[in-house]
Amino acid sequence: MKNINLNALKPAALSIVSILFSLITGGIILLIIGKDPLHYFSLLFARGLGTSLGVTETIIKMAPLMIISAGLLSCFSAGLWNIGVEGQFLIGAMLTGWAAPMLSAALPYPIYLIAVLLLGITGGMVWILIPAVLKARADLNEIITTLMMSWVAINLVTWLVKGPINDLATVPAQTKLIPLIYRMPPIPFTRIHIGLIIGLISLLATHWMIKRTTLGYQFRVMLANKKAARHAGMNVARLTVYGLLISGGFAGLAGACDVLAIKGLFQGNWNPQYGMTAIPLVFLARLNGWAVIPLSFFFSFLAVGGEFVARDLDVPAFFVHVLEGMTLLFFAASEYFEK
Amino acid sequence: MNDIFGSALIAAIIASTIRGTTPILLAALGETYAERSGLLNLGIEGMMVAGAFSSFAVALNLNSLFYGFLSAAVVGLTLGLVFGILTITLRVNQIVVGLGLTIFAHSMSSFLHRVIFGNQFPILFGAGGTNEIPVLARIPIIGQAIFNQHWMVYLTFAMVPVLYGLMYKTRFGLRVRAVGETPLAADAAGVNVNRIRYYTILLGGLTASLGGAFMALGDLAFFVPDMIMGRGYIAIVVVMLGQWNPFKVCWGGLLFGFALALTSAMQVAGINISPDFILMLPYLFVIVALLLFTRSTNLPSSLCVPYKRGADGK
Amino acid sequence: MKNKLLIKMIGITKSFTGVVANDDVDFDLHAAEIHSLLGENGAGKTTLMNILAGMYQPDKGTIIAGAQTVQIRSPRDSLKLGIGMVYQHFTLIPNLTVLENLMLGFEGGLFLDLKKAERKLNQISVAYGLSIDPHRMIRELSVAERQRTEILKILYHDSDVLILDEPASVLAPVEAEALYHTLTLLRDAGKSVILITHNLNEALAVSDRITIMKSGRKAAELSGGMLAAMGASAASDKILGLMFGAIPATAPPEVAPVLEDDPLLELKDVAVLNDRGQIGLKHISFGIRKGEIVGITGVSGEDQRLLAEIIGGQKRASAGSLLYCGRDITRLDIASRFELGISHITADRINEGCVLDMALSENSILQSYYRPPFSRYGILNQSRIKSFTDDLIRRFGIRAIGPDAPVRTLSGGNIQKLLLARGLSGRPGLIICNSPTYGLDAKTVRFIQDLLKEESRRGTAVLLITADLDELFSCSNRIGVLFNGEIVGLMDRCHVTAEKVAKLMLGLS
Repeated sequence: MKNINLNALKPAALSIVSILFSLITGGIILLIIGKDPLHYFSLLFARGLGTSLGVTETIIKMAPLMIISAGLLSCFSAGLWNIGVEGQFLIGAMLTGWAAPMLSAALPYPIYLIAVLLLGITGGMVWILIPAVLKARADLNEIITTLMMSWVAINLVTWLVKGPINDLATVPAQTKLIPLIYRMPPIPFTRIHIGLIIGLISLLATHWMIKRTTLGYQFRVMLANKKAARHAGMNVARLTVYGLLISGGFAGLAGACDVLAIKGLFQGNWNPQYGMTAIPLVFLARLNGWAVIPLSFFFSFLAVGGEFVARDLDVPAFFVHVLEGMTLLFFAASEYFEK
Repeated sequence: MNDIFGSALIAAIIASTIRGTTPILLAALGETYAERSGLLNLGIEGMMVAGAFSSFAVALNLNSLFYGFLSAAVVGLTLGLVFGILTITLRVNQIVVGLGLTIFAHSMSSFLHRVIFGNQFPILFGAGGTNEIPVLARIPIIGQAIFNQHWMVYLTFAMVPVLYGLMYKTRFGLRVRAVGETPLAADAAGVNVNRIRYYTILLGGLTASLGGAFMALGDLAFFVPDMIMGRGYIAIVVVMLGQWNPFKVCWGGLLFGFALALTSAMQVAGINISPDFILMLPYLFVIVALLLFTRSTNLPSSLCVPYKRGADGK
Repeated sequence: MKNKLLIKMIGITKSFTGVVANDDVDFDLHAAEIHSLLGENGAGKTTLMNILAGMYQPDKGTIIAGAQTVQIRSPRDSLKLGIGMVYQHFTLIPNLTVLENLMLGFEGGLFLDLKKAERKLNQISVAYGLSIDPHRMIRELSVAERQRTEILKILYHDSDVLILDEPASVLAPVEAEALYHTLTLLRDAGKSVILITHNLNEALAVSDRITIMKSGRKAAELSGGMLAAMGASAASDKILGLMFGAIPATAPPEVAPVLEDDPLLELKDVAVLNDRGQIGLKHISFGIRKGEIVGITGVSGEDQRLLAEIIGGQKRASAGSLLYCGRDITRLDIASRFELGISHITADRINEGCVLDMALSENSILQSYYRPPFSRYGILNQSRIKSFTDDLIRRFGIRAIGPDAPVRTLSGGNIQKLLLARGLSGRPGLIICNSPTYGLDAKTVRFIQDLLKEESRRGTAVLLITADLDELFSCSNRIGVLFNGEIVGLMDRCHVTAEKVAKLMLGLS
């Protein structure tokens, strides 16, 4: 029988402990504001996992998380911090919301689907291009530049939706509704759309890329020792652009999937803030694509359950983000034990 | 059309610039010290939000502006301490900690706001307000704009020369500069590297939080979850552009305060552009400014690197 | 005449992960003496002194200073006891001035009194004959000036004990002489000096006492009087025996005769800017032929690095041209030059040469990952990479747990072996080795030198950049000296003496 390498389990254990600690601390916070944490969490589990609706919703919501996480995995593995994923997500979503109605009429269904998804990917890539070039050429901190672009995007898409791409037939500012037949097809025999499959493929493809390809190898060297990468002749500037473009593309793809599958249109002032969830998630997963799958299920379930419970127990859905923030902090602290 | 360039508008823009600069400058001054000693505090945004929210909630509930500012100070110091413990003592990755703090503080503020105030967004009456400086306020046009501001504005700008002197003319400032550049050498000289860094991050947390408090209590008189809108990160840019020199940081802050003031002036002047479009501009401005003005050299060499004595095992 | 006993270290033991650096070591220091701590690399000298200076804490043992047992928990404690250390890698802060560096930690009050500090500095300068401009920034100073500043710093802090860690390793021979003179002045003024060195001649020339360390233990202690009585060569032999035990006999230099006349690599009037944007190297013109070992030395480590980098491709020439096999490679990037067969083995082993946290196997393909059989169509072939690494480990005698072990677990010598193995595995036409044996033990040094000679016998051109004059003379066909960014003198080995090289290094001819 193979001896289980305890050392290899340590990282996973630390991540799980971080989650537990944040749940416990969350419970304490609930106590302080006068709610019953046990009641809250049991209801959360019951609603999120206990009902078929809950489980289905959780799985559906996993898709954009997984896709964005795939993007974050790609760039974090190279030591590049694309924190402005939400902006790229919105651009991809907006382009899809705007173009889908037109393209669905003009193209046969399978081609239309691919075209629309490609549009989302392109949108995300275009949106991260400026920060990518600035980082590659002038070493400008990409956290700041992607965040700035993100805020530009948030306002830009709202302006566009209220203006040029508005569907004037409806009162609230939004793009034309995509008819159900032109949405993302479901997985046969289920209500779950194939965005989930796209998410799984994205994650596993990214994981494979990082571990097994020369591109991923160069990324990993960049993260571990940029000086050595340069000295060995790796084109760090070009790799920087690739890494950031890939992650931007995934973010845009997630936006396209969300619009195509869940919402069917793009609204102004809408930002599901997946970044706030995906960033802690990817860290907790220790940049391992396989680990992202159960973690995105967990976080998705928290969000879905949180939504359901919010109405009943008068605990705002924001609470889930509080848990996410604390998880990241506990995870950061747990890094100490990794050393 | 003439009125657009009238003196009233100019005065309004100057006043608005100074007001808008204050929270960014306040946060940037503390961040200057933190970065100079080697800490990159990405939690600055979260600290500003926390300061804004806590000061507002406390001020509203206790009906006291004083306690509002005090609680912001406490919150800022606490968050700075948390950042410090994680990054200095436990030597964990500063970027992860900073992001975690921001996500936590941001969502915690939104969460508590919902819990306490429900769906309402109450206004704090008695907040805002200005203090006029007697003689100077009578200078035509600019007098009212510059010398009739909230007391925190005066305090913030007064801190600029003080912090400059602290940085270059005192023992503490010398040690901060040494620690950020070569912590090993500072340690060998007997300087307590970690203690200096704790001081600077406490300062950073304090000023960031007070910056947020000013926005809630001194400028806007209410709190919405997204009110900080990236000013913390803009402060980081300002620190970079100002090359970690308090006076230059002040100029950088004024630059962005001016950009922000312009955007609101455009709306007031009735220029027919949607507010969403105008809101984009400050962030584009940041990127352009970064492009034009950054000289990439002279970063404190130990920025983002935790310090451990004998880490190289020589 | 017995001097007062100042410091006594008893039974000092210190281990780092897996390595016992100090094993029950005793050491004592008298007032007004120069006491050398002699030993080869890894003997534990620096660790012992780092303990005295407060950088490390011993696992076991006591320290007695001034008749009292003391705990030195930090550099500050050590300074309070009057002990100051000048480290091999200086501890001055580049963006501060000399005066600010001196004042750091001893500012004497909340506000900086620069005038008072300057007066004190003047007093010390006069007393010990060491002068420096107090308002210059450290980053503008030369290496010798920085060292002087370090010594002044210790004196400024009223220390009575100075510990110097390999001070002459960064100085030219004439500057080193000046240093020794300064040390004797200090001793005569009543200060004590502990000199850490691996240089036998230096220790003999200057010391009142010599303590020899070997493999973490104290091997012997000899007094100056005893050694003087023995005579120079007998003293050398005795000390060498104590330091090394059995040294492999140095084979007579056997460098292969050069086969061709046409140079494989040619530099024509090449200039390059240094990291600060100023002219670093200029008018570099020379060639290296197949099968030839060209040895280059000089005082400036930075210039040596620039030379290696300009050929390897890490730096772009600002003037002139480089030709390889007749082809102009001046504008070629690193990867392309590597493809042509130019292999640069850096002096900076752990920061540039390898990725410490990655496995040996992942490090072994750092430059060649894109080539078959290591990868095809962008996909890595893990099993081939592993077997390649196994092969390297075996052939080059790299002491490692296995190909999956992180490079971090290797000793310095084995990391260097890995770098060489990697650099040589692609059958390069030209190898550039910068300080390949720096800091390694005698056995590994010998192994590496034999390796290079073997390569040259096979027709590979070798550029050997080194500060070790023995190595220079035992390995090179031709010897060149870098001075002030230019090559002054490039001659056949048989036409050169060590004395001539030393003079050229300082610009004297």
